[in-house]
Amino acid sequence: MSGHDSKYFSTTKKGEIPELKEELNSQYKDKRKDAVKKVIAAMTVGKDVSSLFTDVVNCMQTENLELKKLVYLYLINYAKSQPDLAILAVNTFVKDSQDPNPLIRALAVRTMGCIRVDKITEYLCDPLQRCLKDDDPYVRKTAAICVAKLYDINAELVEDRGFLEALKDLISDNNPMVVANAVAALAEIQDSSVRPIFEITSHTLSKLLTALNECTEWGQVFILDSLSRYKAADAREAENIVERVTPRLQHANCAVVLSAVKIILLQMELITSTDVVRNLCKKMAPPLVTLLSAEPEIQYVALRNINLIVQKRPTILAHEIKVFFCKYNDPIYVKMEKLEIMIKLASDRNIDQVLLEFKEYATEVDVDFVRKAVRAIGRCAIKLERAAERCISVLLELIKIKVNYVVQEAIIVIKDIFRRYPNTYESIIATLCESLDTLDEPEAKASMIWIIGEYAERIDNADELLESFLETFPEEPALVQLQLLTATVKLFLKKPTEGPQQMIQAVLNNATVETDNPDLRDRAYIYWRLLSTDPEAAKDVVLAEKPVISDDSNQLDSSLLDELLANISTLSSVYHKPPESFVSRVKAAPRADDEEFADTAEGGYSESPSQGVDGASPSSSVGTSSNVPVKQPGAGSPPAPAAMPDLLGDLMGMDNAIVPVDEAAAPSSPPPPVLLPSTTGQGLQISAQLTRRDGQIYYDISFENGTQGVLDGFMIQFNKNTFGLAAGEALKVPPLQPGATTRTLLQMVPFQNIAPGAPNSILQVAVKNNQQPVWYFNDKIPLHVFFGEDGKMERASFLEGWKSLPDDHEFTKEFPGSVISSIDATVERLAAANVFFIAKRKNANMDVLYLSAKMPRGIPFLIEITAAVGVPGVKCAVKTANKEMVPLFFEAMEALTK
Amino acid sequence: MISQFFVLSQRGDHIVFRDYRGEVPKGSAEIFFRKVKFWNDDEAEEAPPVFNVDGVNYIHVKVAGLFFVVTTMVNVSPSLLLELLQRIARVTKDYLGVLNEDSLRKNFILVYELLDEVIDFGYPQTTSTEVLKSYIFNEPIMVDAGRLPPLGPAAMFMQGTKRMPGTAVTKSVVANEPGGKKREEIFVDIIERISVTFSSSGYILTSEIDGTIQMKSYLTGNPEIRLALNEDLSIGRTGSSSYDYRSSSGGAVILDDCNFHESVHLDSFDIDRTLTLIPPDGEFAVMNYRMTQEFKPPFRVTALIEEAGPSRAEVLLKIRADFSANVTANTITVQMPVPSYTMRASFELEAGAVGQTTDFKEGSRRLEWNLKKIVGGSEHTLRAKLTFSQESHGNITKEAGPVNMNFTIPMYNASKLQVRYLQIAKKSKTYNPYRWVRYVTQANSYVARL
Repeated sequence: MSGHDSKYFSTTKKGEIPELKEELNSQYKDKRKDAVKKVIAAMTVGKDVSSLFTDVVNCMQTENLELKKLVYLYLINYAKSQPDLAILAVNTFVKDSQDPNPLIRALAVRTMGCIRVDKITEYLCDPLQRCLKDDDPYVRKTAAICVAKLYDINAELVEDRGFLEALKDLISDNNPMVVANAVAALAEIQDSSVRPIFEITSHTLSKLLTALNECTEWGQVFILDSLSRYKAADAREAENIVERVTPRLQHANCAVVLSAVKIILLQMELITSTDVVRNLCKKMAPPLVTLLSAEPEIQYVALRNINLIVQKRPTILAHEIKVFFCKYNDPIYVKMEKLEIMIKLASDRNIDQVLLEFKEYATEVDVDFVRKAVRAIGRCAIKLERAAERCISVLLELIKIKVNYVVQEAIIVIKDIFRRYPNTYESIIATLCESLDTLDEPEAKASMIWIIGEYAERIDNADELLESFLETFPEEPALVQLQLLTATVKLFLKKPTEGPQQMIQAVLNNATVETDNPDLRDRAYIYWRLLSTDPEAAKDVVLAEKPVISDDSNQLDSSLLDELLANISTLSSVYHKPPESFVSRVKAAPRADDEEFADTAEGGYSESPSQGVDGASPSSSVGTSSNVPVKQPGAGSPPAPAAMPDLLGDLMGMDNAIVPVDEAAAPSSPPPPVLLPSTTGQGLQISAQLTRRDGQIYYDISFENGTQGVLDGFMIQFNKNTFGLAAGEALKVPPLQPGATTRTLLQMVPFQNIAPGAPNSILQVAVKNNQQPVWYFNDKIPLHVFFGEDGKMERASFLEGWKSLPDDHEFTKEFPGSVISSIDATVERLAAANVFFIAKRKNANMDVLYLSAKMPRGIPFLIEITAAVGVPGVKCAVKTANKEMVPLFFEAMEALTK
Repeated sequence: MISQFFVLSQRGDHIVFRDYRGEVPKGSAEIFFRKVKFWNDDEAEEAPPVFNVDGVNYIHVKVAGLFFVVTTMVNVSPSLLLELLQRIARVTKDYLGVLNEDSLRKNFILVYELLDEVIDFGYPQTTSTEVLKSYIFNEPIMVDAGRLPPLGPAAMFMQGTKRMPGTAVTKSVVANEPGGKKREEIFVDIIERISVTFSSSGYILTSEIDGTIQMKSYLTGNPEIRLALNEDLSIGRTGSSSYDYRSSSGGAVILDDCNFHESVHLDSFDIDRTLTLIPPDGEFAVMNYRMTQEFKPPFRVTALIEEAGPSRAEVLLKIRADFSANVTANTITVQMPVPSYTMRASFELEAGAVGQTTDFKEGSRRLEWNLKKIVGGSEHTLRAKLTFSQESHGNITKEAGPVNMNFTIPMYNASKLQVRYLQIAKKSKTYNPYRWVRYVTQANSYVARL
């Protein structure tokens, strides 16, 4: 073969498709192969070459494996969008599956399984059955994976045809690759089934252990991971398993090592002999350390795992702390993890060495790393009583360098040290006070204020110090305000003189009258009442002895830790989260966290102290038809935006002809609505609508030539509009034969030629061709095509956003014609239009959904939808700073919920 | 298992994109790229190799300036995926000779063919170039390697040994030579990356060697190979504590730990320290090893910073090459962070210095000293005068440093691990393939504290 494959990318002249079509049907083999390569090249850059389906499939019957593979690659991509044509390929598949060449047999069965078309699936069963019993191991191992593919498409079929049994038989296959794939397939099927399908018995156990020694590194991981689900019957069996698995620790592949470690750790739980356990710990240490010589990416995974392992079995690496010292060229994510483990391994014996390291790190360049190093020193002080003094002296040394963020971080940890060792190290307070005026971070400020309040009687000028903070009380963040309030009360109780008395008056006034933070207000009122009724009781409450805090470096609770340890060497052990919190088995609908969100959302909202989102619901009883949410008393009702959208619609003289249809998810969307009927267009019919795909706005436009002649030279132009939408490329429409239809996606770019005036959704379009006059027609811009893929908000920022916007930025509208028949479907549909689900809540028989969307360059829309499932009528409330877009927004939402 | 595999350029362009399960929503490559590019709203901070966005798990490595990424929806082993990504990169390099954006684009059809064999329905099948050869039909198209910067560990031999044919390391394992016949040769590289931390008083605080014996075979017929290492090699420190690593005995090489490629037979390893293997095609690590036994660091680094007036300071950097005079280190860089309020630095090189450059990196507040080469036994010094924008707090040693050094020393290995001989099973009397056994030592983290 000559030339470069990349040349296939460079043909962009007009009429590409017909040209390719011709080449695909060429009588010359080489030309056909070249043409298929061009098609694949076009496919990989995202061009739609599905119209060549028949022509490509015609090339499938060939002896040339290279060409066959290319055709199959094409088939996998487009079969789903052309299910009726895909059936054309079935005969060749079935024939190929009986070819004398094992490569062709395997290729056929591998490819058929990737074509997720029901009609094909039926034809797959017989070839699969044959291939599972093929003489060639390459065919069998491919067939084993194919069973998992089929199960994913049609689980019933797999069970009915006895493929599960066939798969289980393959566990006893004499080829280790086949065994490994059978195990992988069974494990996957088990994961998506509630019934026990793949249970490891002592019989299969020994088979798997034997295969382990012979199969590829990847197969070893599949097998080891399946074995990790096996519960040994007794200590003897556990020891036996461990003995067989231990040699895997010597493998060069880190995944094999970690999977082996997982099994050993699990079986160790059963082993009673302390000698054996000690010996195993000794054996595991060097391979674990060796993982840190791998690429930094692998080191990171290893460190996250080691973090868990040392929490459970600190002895394994107790003597290896040096290997966790940070290297100069470690990426920051590796350094952070090493620091965490150093704290966990720090002991009285090595603390001097560790402190020396921390001290070095605390003078490095990366601010986050430095902060973490300072905090690490404090955590060691809390963890190791005998070393606390040395830790503190290192902290004081660092404070003296006077690097602002180091000082602040040090003060935060010193506050914790005071709580851990009361009445021990207060002599350093004077040094801390020197840095008072440099504090500008809330947490550091709050910590310092706490220290002043707590030790007011020992600090001569405590009142002056506090007073300096009080000047800025109203501007401080809540965290600091709360500490100031408490510290002032402490000061007053300890030194009830005139100065503090005045201060307490000012603070209480500030914290009760001038604030709208309910936490602060409530706390201030409690203090106020306590102080005015019984100052002695106030002393008992406020100055009560605090419980001593303890070391937090083993922060995971033991049940979670055990769950994570059972998941060593999986993503779960990297995130330190149980698998169910980030994995969903729901295919094709990756809204993994809906349920979890919904659950926590309820708790979160009901606890929420402010009215914000919550306020609307409890009082608005069922049947209240008012679309004005019941707000905090006194809050004015928002201006009724009603009527507006309808009015706009009327103005534009449009009826429901152009309801924007939601198309986002499906690759082959339904045809766009007709905008220029053929009666108006002298035989030319144009249908079009705006749509969003992969973060881009496109004009999905289709032309139907009902005239008697060929139409060519199509061009398109857009009038100025609210969003400045304009064509981002030239319209590419091939000459249109009489009776022919063509459809294309024209890329659009916003903010080009913006029409002044109040926003509206009108899009005026002009289309011309060489044969006809210029046609004008109007389209409507659905606002949601602008919603960005990045519009998803965290729950916290949503709440914050909702609270921070004044009430006159909230608008509500009823969509009487909309019905929500299923929450999930609606959420999915909205997500496809980039309106993202955040949380939901039940209020009587109504469901309340919270969602967010975001315009480019713009401000987010915070959305609340209230509806009863199956009952017509949806209430939509929105809060946004983008007021003028609200009518258009409602228009879009109404269309999306219809 | 794996949902998608893709390769992105540094600018985020798709170079390769393969979806194995069709379960991840569209736009994952863009989501990934945006996330990696703006991790923590901070371009300086690198994204961790494993993260989750909206239920999709992204696992990536950077190879040759490209992002190799897989996505998955389930709780799989991330180390498996990371290893796999590295291995895919290696197999691709075996096939294409050179791994870069250009070669991938030119060979995209071959790459897709490879990917179909390497992964099926998201499950890794095989990553052995040897095995893959029987299933792959596309021929690689060579890119002109001459103009391209060399990549990978083998690249460092380019400058080091003149005897080496320059193109050898960038030639494809599977493609035929223009002449039709392949040259029979085998490369065995002993590559050691050393980490040393010197305390301010010059003591060695930590030292470590990460070594690899790497093999790349172009031999036809896959003959058996025997690789003999030091006879007195021992594995596992007896004290099992890193505190007594100084008490190592005489000249014996003691490894902390090692592991081997699956093709290696260790039958006679315990007896005479020989490894037997039939090398598969392609580049692979025969053995990885790790050593914390005391060794002589190739360079001694001394750094001094002293105040010279209220807003000035003087820096003295000295390096001494503690190895034999017939070995030469090359591409040496010495870096030293200086206090953040440093405004200017003026340098003074030793008299007669050749091939040395200096620089003050204002952005990162760092002195940089580059030396083209250093001959064993020699000593070099650099003086610098710093001017500050404010008075220092009187503890500038805490605000400067540590000094970090980078270097490559060909034909030198710190561990003293040797390949005593490399024996290739003979097919005929005239069969005498080329054997290249090469040693190289590189700095990993070579740091002197102030």
